[in-house]
Amino acid sequence: MKVLRPLILVAFILAAWQITAKSGLWSPILFPPLERIGRELFIFATSWDGAVQTWVSLYRAFAGFGAAALVGGLLGLVMGRSPVVAGMLDPLFSGTYAVPKLALFPIFIFIFGLGSLSKVALVFLECLYPMVIITSQGARNVPKALLWSAENMGASRWTTLRRVVLPATMPYVFAALRVALPVALIVVVITEMISSVDGLGYLISYSLASLKTDRILAIVVVISALGLALDRGLVMLRDRLVYWEKLDTYYA
Amino acid sequence: MRILSRAALLVALLAAWQLASLGGLPDYLLPPLEIAKDFAQALGTSELYGHIAASLGRAVPGFLAGAIAGSALGLLAGVRRGFDETVSPLVFLTYPVPKIVLLPLFMLWFGIGDLSKILIIALACFYPMYINAYYGARATPRILVWSARNMGASGAQIFRRVVLPAALPYLFAGLRVALALSFIVMFAAEMINARSGLGHLIRDSESSLRFDLMYVALLSIALLGYAGDRLLRYARARALVWQETHA
Repeated sequence: MKVLRPLILVAFILAAWQITAKSGLWSPILFPPLERIGRELFIFATSWDGAVQTWVSLYRAFAGFGAAALVGGLLGLVMGRSPVVAGMLDPLFSGTYAVPKLALFPIFIFIFGLGSLSKVALVFLECLYPMVIITSQGARNVPKALLWSAENMGASRWTTLRRVVLPATMPYVFAALRVALPVALIVVVITEMISSVDGLGYLISYSLASLKTDRILAIVVVISALGLALDRGLVMLRDRLVYWEKLDTYYA
Repeated sequence: MRILSRAALLVALLAAWQLASLGGLPDYLLPPLEIAKDFAQALGTSELYGHIAASLGRAVPGFLAGAIAGSALGLLAGVRRGFDETVSPLVFLTYPVPKIVLLPLFMLWFGIGDLSKILIIALACFYPMYINAYYGARATPRILVWSARNMGASGAQIFRRVVLPAALPYLFAGLRVALALSFIVMFAAEMINARSGLGHLIRDSESSLRFDLMYVALLSIALLGYAGDRLLRYARARALVWQETHA
């Protein structure tokens, strides 16, 4: 029963969509019936081009996300453990936190060119914020008792960092990764919609220009599935690596 | 003095940027002083205010609509199990999906004017609000609800006097995320398709190589985002006097 209830809602939405599409009140350009979306999805999934465009988008998202995870994780760790570094960098990050970094995209285009690099750079910048902020919070909150115990037992600074601070921060790192991953996907799709000649975001703008609504919806389904699959993958990885604590960002 | 040391890095970065411009930067990297000059100049024209008004005219209604709908439904899901089991799985499932991909569809359904942009902003803001309101309502200490019920409070009273105050910190956390999102989505929507607004201004000046205007638009959006966030933090401090803030 608990599993069935959400399915009822999904079935209801799909049925309402299909009835709207078949009612003939609106053009199929506005509400394409499900079978046409399904057909476009099939064409996309079986075509070579579909795989290539998906790969292009994923490659951009992962390049920026990976770099941000690495740099932001390290930076957050240092900021959490060193008040001096935190005092210097904290105002910079919290001051520019609410500023939409997307506004820098036109400038990034001039600096890094029209290709992948400007998009990767923007993904990196957008993902850097949650990584730094959440990781530094975690590194700051390492239980004092654990640090004192390690010190008492004669652990060197390096050992303390590796055996106490790092494991205590890991749940936060994964929480940060879960915030950053959808952000990476969003930024890639947006920048591809604004200016690109390939990738899933470009396919959406292109399909809009030719009024292929069924194709737009098929790509929306693909992007949604990617977002979901990546998030699930990250949760599975977290459950294996930091099995002792499940710190959640959006609690699912 | 403390403020000075906190801003030290920022000032150093700006100074280095300014100094680098002496050695000759590419055209598209204007030195900070020139940006400040252009910005002051643009503040004297009515054009900039028109774009700002157009942008806020999209972001604010979208943010409000998304925030109200999200917090109302999220709170409802937090206190009503049947609603929770029906709606929440779908909301959580579609949370990592970038909502901006629906903009082309919204443009077909609701026209290329402001309505489609407001609705996509509202949709983007709905998610963090729903999720935070939901967990805020769920985080209400059981014992408070039981005590209130014991003392004869009605369901409406419990909701207004117990659940709502308990959920308020979560609601503010959601608002902060939603506000940042509303600016991003507004900007993206305007860059993709608009005839006014800061996103349009930045696109327009980019294609006509008016770098001065580009930076004016950039600085305006940055200041607006910053001001909005400050305003929210101020409201939060006022509304949550009993709670220590650690933001």
